[in-house]
Amino acid sequence: MSQSSEAKQLVDAVISDFPDHAAGTRPVHTIGVGVKGTFVASDVARNYCIAKHFQGEPVTATVRFSNGSGSPVQHDGWSDVRGMATRFHLGDQEATDLIAMTLGEFFSADVAAFLAFTKAAQPGPVERQSPWQKIWDMLQLKPPLPGPMPGQSNDLGAAGMLKYANRHAAAQLAVFQAGMIGAPVSYARASYHAVHSFVVIDAFGVRRHVRFSWQPVAGVRTTDPAIPPRDDYLRQELEQRLERWPARFMLMMTIGEAGDAFDDPTRPWPDKRIRVVMGTLTLQRLAPDQTADCEQLSFNPCRLTAGIEVSNDPILRARRDAYEVSRQMRGGSGCPFSGGSANGR
Amino acid sequence: MADEPSWFERWVDELLNNDRFQRLAAKILVPYWAWRTAVKPQPGGPHFSMQPGDNVMRMMNLVMPLKDKSPVGRAKAALAIAQNKDEIYAGLDNVGTVHFARFVIVADNICMFSVYDGDFTNYIRDFIATIGSVFDAVVGLVEGGDAVIPSERNIEAFIDWVHAHDLYQVPDLATDLLRDQEAVNGAQPCTAGNDLRLLPRALILQLHVNSNVSLGSGYRAYPGYSVAQVRQQLGIGW
Repeated sequence: MSQSSEAKQLVDAVISDFPDHAAGTRPVHTIGVGVKGTFVASDVARNYCIAKHFQGEPVTATVRFSNGSGSPVQHDGWSDVRGMATRFHLGDQEATDLIAMTLGEFFSADVAAFLAFTKAAQPGPVERQSPWQKIWDMLQLKPPLPGPMPGQSNDLGAAGMLKYANRHAAAQLAVFQAGMIGAPVSYARASYHAVHSFVVIDAFGVRRHVRFSWQPVAGVRTTDPAIPPRDDYLRQELEQRLERWPARFMLMMTIGEAGDAFDDPTRPWPDKRIRVVMGTLTLQRLAPDQTADCEQLSFNPCRLTAGIEVSNDPILRARRDAYEVSRQMRGGSGCPFSGGSANGR
Repeated sequence: MADEPSWFERWVDELLNNDRFQRLAAKILVPYWAWRTAVKPQPGGPHFSMQPGDNVMRMMNLVMPLKDKSPVGRAKAALAIAQNKDEIYAGLDNVGTVHFARFVIVADNICMFSVYDGDFTNYIRDFIATIGSVFDAVVGLVEGGDAVIPSERNIEAFIDWVHAHDLYQVPDLATDLLRDQEAVNGAQPCTAGNDLRLLPRALILQLHVNSNVSLGSGYRAYPGYSVAQVRQQLGIGW
């Protein structure tokens, strides 16, 4: 299969999980908000990576926070994965992206498994367990399935995902974590994980496999699941928060060791790995032009700069072309890969 | 669109938080499922790993039930530690792989919690060599301890005894509990998966046979460094 047909297949597969997906919008993480800020590397960051944004000079950044769903209908309060796509503007039209989400791992380790997963995750009808089924579950010491959210019109693929995970151990962790991820009280109060490993290169040419995470200085907090969810609060909350005070995130870089799952995004690395504070992102205000600075922007996890390279993670490599296909389908702004640039290869 | 739940559904939804149902679960359901799907207690201590980062800052959480479960018995245990403070500190400095260690009395147990580098067996062996007498003084107050003291003459049995009192470290990744369960049952790792919804039951049944566990392998402010590296970098030793 050619790269472009595989990429198209991936995008189509993702879109098929959202029956009400609107053409011309992102296949997933459809609803989001753009924010402007500044990233300043820590004093030690340059010891690990020669990339421009890790040298200590302040770098302007554009961030797009998003809800995970590919539906155009906003449900901020539903339990869902959230995204934080960051563009570091390095000057002279150069930029690098870091795409992260609140889930700490991915559902599949390769493209074939991902296609099978998306097929399994097709949404089905909303099915509320009967009380008798719930009692039977409880008698088996099995927590009953959560009921649908107010206004939920399909099961969001939950039943299919669970069935898939029961047959594929590699998907279990992501499905389990996604099932209890909740909704953040604020986009600025969630941790975001880039999930894939990258290779960073230092001034001596030493190459290290690493993974990046954003940790909110304001702390992590989710909404109370016992309170009925609100559909529209995250953007307003962020705007009001930034009017009062900037929101900050620390960029943490975990260094992998030989034997770690460098190329498998379904396996988080042990917490015992060395982690380095690479810098602080300070978010100051919502982007004034949400269309140009948010919706039109096309992020790509493989838009990298000298000093950072992709690992052999097959999902990461597949995302490179899939994001480009997605950009073309929705008419997003230019991507460095459309002209065949070697960046990110 | 989902319909509004009936009163019966709402009542069932509340059952999980209902005291009577929780008592029923603890007294009947847990023993029943423990009988139906027998679960072996997981071994204590860190999981085996060859990777350097997994072999530094490892946790030992010994929980040892005292023979004398009275305030006098607890005081005797406290005294055994206090009387041997110099021996303990000298031993810890000599062993050289310990980040911290402390003794704690929790209810009727004397506990030793420590964070160390390297292999567990060698760690205990080093302690026997340097402060075996202190171990003997403490272990002599603990149920079943008489069989393994003096430690210098019962080295292997003593190491096994300590390992048996080290808490099971519930995996940091929730679903790895299922893999631990396969391992302790001697089953092949199941790549085909299990019923994910039974993960909570797997935890409940493990806690049924293993009432004290460590939740994960713990947070580290500076993970991945040995005592020797930290001391060398700070210019304070060895």
